Amino acid sequence: MNPILSFIILLIGVYGIATSKNIIKSVFCVTIIETATILLFLNLGVYEGGLIPIMNAIGIDIVDPLPQALMITTIVIGSTITSLALMLCIKIFHHYGSIEWKVVLKGDK
Amino acid sequence: MIYFPILFVFIPVLSSLLVYLIHRRWAAKLLFVSQSAMIVLFILYAQYVIDHPDLTLLVFGGWDSLFAISFYNDGLSLGFIGLSVIMWFILLIYTYKTNRDENKFLFFFMFLQGIFLGLIQTNDLFNLFVFLELMTVLITILIAYKKTGPSFKASIFYLLVNTIGAMFFLLGIILIYYVYGTINIQYLADHIHLFSEQGLIKLAYVMMISGLSIKAAFFPLFTWLPKAHGVAQSTISALLSGLIVKGALYMFIRIHMEMFESAHYGLETVMFYIGAVTAIGGVIFALVQKDLKQILAYHTVSQIGIMVMGLSSVADYSYIGGLMHIFNHALFKSLLFLGAGVVIQNYHTKKVSEIRGVMRSMPWTGVLLIVGMLSISGAPLFNGFVSKTLVKYDFKTDDFKMILFTIINIGTVTSFLKFSQILFGQRIQSFIFTDRKQQFAMTLIAILCILIGIFYIPLGSWLLGKDLSYVNIFDVTQWIDYAIYVMAGLLLYRYVIVKDFRPLVRIRNISISFENANYLFILYMVMISIFMFMIV
Repeated sequence: MNPILSFIILLIGVYGIATSKNIIKSVFCVTIIETATILLFLNLGVYEGGLIPIMNAIGIDIVDPLPQALMITTIVIGSTITSLALMLCIKIFHHYGSIEWKVVLKGDK
Repeated sequence: MIYFPILFVFIPVLSSLLVYLIHRRWAAKLLFVSQSAMIVLFILYAQYVIDHPDLTLLVFGGWDSLFAISFYNDGLSLGFIGLSVIMWFILLIYTYKTNRDENKFLFFFMFLQGIFLGLIQTNDLFNLFVFLELMTVLITILIAYKKTGPSFKASIFYLLVNTIGAMFFLLGIILIYYVYGTINIQYLADHIHLFSEQGLIKLAYVMMISGLSIKAAFFPLFTWLPKAHGVAQSTISALLSGLIVKGALYMFIRIHMEMFESAHYGLETVMFYIGAVTAIGGVIFALVQKDLKQILAYHTVSQIGIMVMGLSSVADYSYIGGLMHIFNHALFKSLLFLGAGVVIQNYHTKKVSEIRGVMRSMPWTGVLLIVGMLSISGAPLFNGFVSKTLVKYDFKTDDFKMILFTIINIGTVTSFLKFSQILFGQRIQSFIFTDRKQQFAMTLIAILCILIGIFYIPLGSWLLGKDLSYVNIFDVTQWIDYAIYVMAGLLLYRYVIVKDFRPLVRIRNISISFENANYLFILYMVMISIFMFMIV
C-alpha cells in the first residue's frame, strides 16, 4: 500500500463530485473520497512486521494504535452519512420522479 | 465544578432522549427545567473559570493529555457557550407551541445543543471533526423535517456539500498528525512553528481552512445556505444562521487565529478580501431577492463577510468588533427570522410583494421587526451599530476599505428598506393567529439587542476586558452618517430595485448546481494554495 494509491483514489472521488450528474453517483463519490482518506491515515501508522496494538503488547514493536482508533470512528460516521444520503435519494425520487441533479434542482420554482 | 463541561454536553442529550422515549406533554415541559438548569450551571461555571483560569483543562480517562480526549475552556468558548445556552432557551420558548407534540423534532433539536456545546469545548482536532459531522447529520434531518420535496432537495445538497468540506478538514488533520504525532489543539498551538515551513503543514492548513469555509459559507461556497434557509422552519433558520454558522466561525478563529498563529503565514489580507467579497456578494444577492426568507439568508452571508473582515484586521478594536458582531448577529438575525416566521405563518406566503400591512394587523411583531432591521443596518442605539463601528476602526486610514464598507452598508440598508415594505399598507383581512410564547421569545431577543446597544461600555469592560468608549452613540456625525446611508438606500431602492431591471432578474435566477458548487470549492482551494505557496 502506498500513499500515492490513496491519493489517486482521492482524485477519482474529487473528479466524480465535480462531474457526476446523478445524485446517487455523487453520494458514491463522497464515499470514495472518504475511503481514500481512511486508507491514507491507516497507511501512516502501519509498517511491515508491526504487531497488533492490544493490551499486553506494550514495549514490543507495535503499530501506532491511534489512527486505527480514529478511523473506526470515521467509518461509522461515513456509513451514517451514506445511509442518510441514500434515504434522502429515495424520498427525492418519490417527489420528483428522478434523481438527476438537473431535474431535481429545477423541479419547483 | 471542573466536571461541568461534561454536563453541558450530557444534559441536553439526556433530556432529548427522555422526550423521545416518553412522548408526553409533561416530558416536553421538562425541557424548560433542563434548560434553566443549563443557565444556572453556566453562570456557576463562568464564575469558576474567571476565578481559576488555569484549571479549565479537563482530561478524560486519566491518559496523558497529549493523546487523551480533553475539553478546554477559555473566555472565547465561554462566550459561545453562554450565547448558545441563551439562544436555545429562547428558541425552545418560540417553538414550544408548534412542536410540543413532535417528540422527534424536540429530540433532534435538543441533541443538537449537546453536540454544539461539545464542538465549542473540545480540545482535540479529531473530536472537532466528529462533532462537526454529527452536527451536519442532525441539521440535515432538521432541514428535511417538513418532508416536502424542496426540503429533501435542500437537505441532500447541504449534507453532501458539507461532508465534502469535512472530509478535506479530516485530510488536513491526518497530515498534521503525520508530522506532529498529536492532534491536541493546545499542544499544536504551542509547537506549530517547529515544522510550519513544511509543505505538508501548509497543505494541511489550506485543506482545513477550505473545509471550514464551506461550513462558514464564505463567498463562492455559500450555495447551501440560501437553499437550506428557504425550506426549513423559522426556528431552524434562526438556529442555522444564529449559531451553526457561528460554530464554523468559532473553529475558524481557533484554527486560523490561534493554532496557526505562530506559523505567520500572513494570509490575513487574503482573508480580509475574502470577507469583503463575501459581504458584497451577499448584499448584491440579497438586494434582488423577492422571498422574505431568502433576503434574510443572503444577509447572513453578507454579515459573515463583515465578521471575517473584522476578525482578520490588524487593529485590536476591529478584532473585538468582529467578535462582537458574531454575538450581535446571532441576536438580531434570529429576531428577524422568528418575526418573519410569524408573518409567513399568518399570511401564508413568502413573497415580499404580497405581504402588506403587518404594522396594522400585528403591531407588536411589526415593532420587533423594526428593532431587528435597525440593528442589522447599524442604527445608533442598537447593537449592530456598536460592532460595525468597531469593525470600521481599522479602515479609518484606508480609503479603499472604507469605500467597500460604505457600499456594504448602503446595500444592507437598501435591502431592508425593501424588506420593510411589508410593514406598511392596508391591513389584509386574514386570520391572525398570535402566540404569547412566540411574542415573548422575540421580545426577549429584542430587549437584549437594545440593552447591548446602550450599555456596551460596562458590558465590554466586564466581558471583554476592553474599554469600548471609542464607540460614541451620541456623536452627531454617526447619526448623520446613518441618515446618509438611509437616503442613498432610498434613492437606490426607488430608482433601481423597484424597476427590477433585466440584470437584476438575471442575478436572481442564478442557481448554482451541485457540480458547479464543487468546482467552486476546488477553485477556492487552488486559490488559497496559490496565495499560500507562491505569493505570500
